[in-house]
Amino acid sequence: MLFLVAAGLQLVFGVQRILNLACGSFYALGAYAGVSAVAWALGHGLPAPLFVLVLVASGLALAVIGPPVERLLRAVYDRDESFQLLLTFALVLMFEDVMRFVWGPAPVQLGNAYLVYGRLAVAGSTVPVYNLVVIAAGGLVALGMGGLLTRTRFGRIVRATAENREMSAALGVDLGRVYARVFTLGVALGTVGGALVIPATAAVSEMAIEVVVEAFAVVVIGGLGSMRGAFVGSLIVGVLKAGAIATWPEVEMLAIYVVVIGVLVLRPAGLFAGAAP
Amino acid sequence: MRTTRRQFLALSGGALGTAALRLDTAPALAQNAPVKIGVLAAKAGVLAPVGESGLRGVQWATERVNAAGGILGRRIELVVEEESSPKDTVERFRKLSLQDRVDAVSGAISTGVGLALGPVAEEMKTIWLSWDATTQKGVEETMPKPKYSFRSTDNECEAVMASMLTARHLKGKFRTVAGINPDYSYGRDNWAAFLAIMKKYGIELSVVSELWPKLGATDFTAHVAALGQAKPDLIFSCFWAGDTPIFLKQAHAAGLTARTKLVLTTGGGVHESLKKDFTPEGAILGYNCLYFDWARASALQKEFVRWHHEKFKEWPNYESDHGYFTIVAYKAAVERAARAAGGKWPAPDAIIQALEGVEAESLSGPRRFREDHIMEATFFQGMTTHRNAHDFVTIDPVETMTTKQIQKPSGVGLYDWINSWKV
Repeated sequence: MLFLVAAGLQLVFGVQRILNLACGSFYALGAYAGVSAVAWALGHGLPAPLFVLVLVASGLALAVIGPPVERLLRAVYDRDESFQLLLTFALVLMFEDVMRFVWGPAPVQLGNAYLVYGRLAVAGSTVPVYNLVVIAAGGLVALGMGGLLTRTRFGRIVRATAENREMSAALGVDLGRVYARVFTLGVALGTVGGALVIPATAAVSEMAIEVVVEAFAVVVIGGLGSMRGAFVGSLIVGVLKAGAIATWPEVEMLAIYVVVIGVLVLRPAGLFAGAAP
Repeated sequence: MRTTRRQFLALSGGALGTAALRLDTAPALAQNAPVKIGVLAAKAGVLAPVGESGLRGVQWATERVNAAGGILGRRIELVVEEESSPKDTVERFRKLSLQDRVDAVSGAISTGVGLALGPVAEEMKTIWLSWDATTQKGVEETMPKPKYSFRSTDNECEAVMASMLTARHLKGKFRTVAGINPDYSYGRDNWAAFLAIMKKYGIELSVVSELWPKLGATDFTAHVAALGQAKPDLIFSCFWAGDTPIFLKQAHAAGLTARTKLVLTTGGGVHESLKKDFTPEGAILGYNCLYFDWARASALQKEFVRWHHEKFKEWPNYESDHGYFTIVAYKAAVERAARAAGGKWPAPDAIIQALEGVEAESLSGPRRFREDHIMEATFFQGMTTHRNAHDFVTIDPVETMTTKQIQKPSGVGLYDWINSWKV
């Protein structure tokens, strides 16, 4: 899931050179909206096992907030990164208030959707099948993004814009439209990620901040703007976290940031720096 | 009665302009002017649900007091501000004191904020009635013999009661224990108190896992996996926010709750989110100082619970009662001091003196402030059950203990007190 959020962050940065803290809010919004959408769908007689489709659909539908937010961010495209951070952080705070206004301050959760697909015993421990569904979904998105960026006309334009935006503008690419689409895609990655994770957890307004901190660790490890970096970085962060908690819980956060520091010292641009997004 | 931010800004802008004027006219108006009470209620992040709940209790108490003629004929007027970081909250406290000239401040939940507010209340000479914001460490240093601060019950009361119930009901039924607690003073202190009490009761145990997720974490799959490997007979947790249902849901999905006993000291604060789907029966669950479904509840609690459910479609939790008590305790103290002053509105020092040892009827029964400014109340815990009309767990039977039993007496260290028990 971290991968989806980090991928959204990467995509937007790679093309638009915007550091978007609000990607965490899209994740949280996706989670809240997912709960509402599934509750509504089940109330209208949807068979329980199909709820995943509803989650994905609600995540995608929520991406409509992409274009207006992108419109707002245009004000800081050519400014210093600190302005971008300020504006997007302001968005994080505003979205948090919106979520509290709409869904209330208490944690919001889905019924027992988590265990609809049952549990599986793997090597002595029990794993809910839904976790595997989410992992598979993450893999599919990774493949899909790869295909989209390397094999389609839209992908070629996006990569060209990331490489050199003046040149692609000179060649007749409508930068405004590319930006809006890329940003919306980034939003969708966040909202779908949030929607998919909700059966296993509960939506709380602070989840935006939590995920954005980890997403930034992923991005630093993987390299800003690199899609492969996002994938490998999120794997590294996830495995490190689990390993630390199982062996020495005190160092959970430390372990991640030791690696972050190591990467910054040895390969300041990240493991996959310079690769195409 | 709710003041929106906008109205509030307009009001405080006006207040600024007329501040000089008011300085002159204030004494003449004092008998009729409203009593101003500042409220510090958390509105964002992990604390938001609890802050909201405390505010509801304060507002309900205020409506009732005002409907019954106010305090000595003066209406209560609330000035609601936000509790956030210690630094910002201290600024808002100063603003309430200097600019709004409140008579008292009610609120604050976070321990860190509480430690910062203590000295400021003394400096501003403004009465501060805390909802929670209490811990062992640091209080002696930052608030030695406070005059203006009145604190809530000790943080560890819940752990002490849950540990006593563990010894009473589960002794001999577990050997290995694991703790998963939020990584800050509340989590650390409660876990240490639990281990000390187990030792006091002569329960031999081995700790197989100690996990410290940070406060506000929303994913515990790795923690649950580690607990699954450690295979404890009993898990102790003082989670109190959204972390409780998330942890239970993920633990249930991994098959952990079926074979492990659970002691959840504080999870009752988010009781409606503890759905039957994933919360097992037979877990020890604590509700702090208010249990919404108590059969022996007073008419007052029943009326509040009914009002709360009608208005918010939720069953209330303990923080409402902390908030409620601060208002009625202040009223009782003013009236007590006024009786001594021949019916006139008492001076602040007289109100403080009257608050010491003041008793008032809270939603969950009688409460008082001890002479050392610490609250005395009744706590509610019990074993979870699915036999109810809700989709979440409740407790049956409901066990109650008072702070006389589970809170260290004035001037004694927690562990010295525990060691002095005769068990």
